[in-house]
Amino acid sequence: MRLRDFFAAGAVNLDLESETKDDVMRELVSLLGIDERSRGILFKMLKRRENLGSTGIGKGIAIPHCRSLVANELRVAFGRSEKGVDFEAIDGKPVHFFFLIVAPPLEVSNQYLPVLGKIAQFSKEEGVEDRLRSIESEDEFLALLDEHNV
Amino acid sequence: MHQHLETLLEIQDLKSQKTELQDTETERQVQEEVFNISIDDALDALDRKVVEMEESLPAPIRSRYNRLAKRYPRVVAPVIRGTCYGCFVSVATAVSSDAGRNEEIEYCESCGRFLYLVD
Repeated sequence: MRLRDFFAAGAVNLDLESETKDDVMRELVSLLGIDERSRGILFKMLKRRENLGSTGIGKGIAIPHCRSLVANELRVAFGRSEKGVDFEAIDGKPVHFFFLIVAPPLEVSNQYLPVLGKIAQFSKEEGVEDRLRSIESEDEFLALLDEHNV
Repeated sequence: MHQHLETLLEIQDLKSQKTELQDTETERQVQEEVFNISIDDALDALDRKVVEMEESLPAPIRSRYNRLAKRYPRVVAPVIRGTCYGCFVSVATAVSSDAGRNEEIEYCESCGRFLYLVD
């Protein structure tokens, strides 16, 4: 399983424009290429998950995630905000890098948790935030994932 | 989307989240170790939200919901290519081709679950 396989075309945005937590979640969901009503439900579910505790894990990285019936398959998106967003992260610092994960309640392949685990592991690796800051294209981003064997 | 269908979907998603936190060791570990979540607090919060949303449903829908919830872990079933994915029986063409796409509350004639038409 390679992480890059879960990113649909266009699911990487290196210039997020949002400035608030809610708006950045909406912007990330819009990268998934799903219909508007499903986007609304996913946004609500992501918010409910955030209400249990922020998915901002520190080092400028957040991994908002949820399962919902409106997601027909496991999908991942990545967004980068140069300015950073107050995401109520564990370390209290602004978040610049967002990995969004959505999945249906039941998946045949059951890859939701492994994907979440891989992203968490990748996020903890030394120097990752500098590399994420310097990438200039979707291809470079995907190559970075490959380089880290995730 | 119909307002109450949206509520039913949200309730179901919240219940799935709760089940996963309760029953899946790996999920608990990830939430505790990566995201620093208190599992007990999270389960309490999910319970409260589910009850609040259940109570917001109008009586006829809540009554059907309660009946279904006693029988099935998931009371809303996706309809994919004309088939109810709760009981795997074909649903009426009029339902599966609903021009409004989830603008009405529809039920499976076979299992009785609420239906959610997936694109």
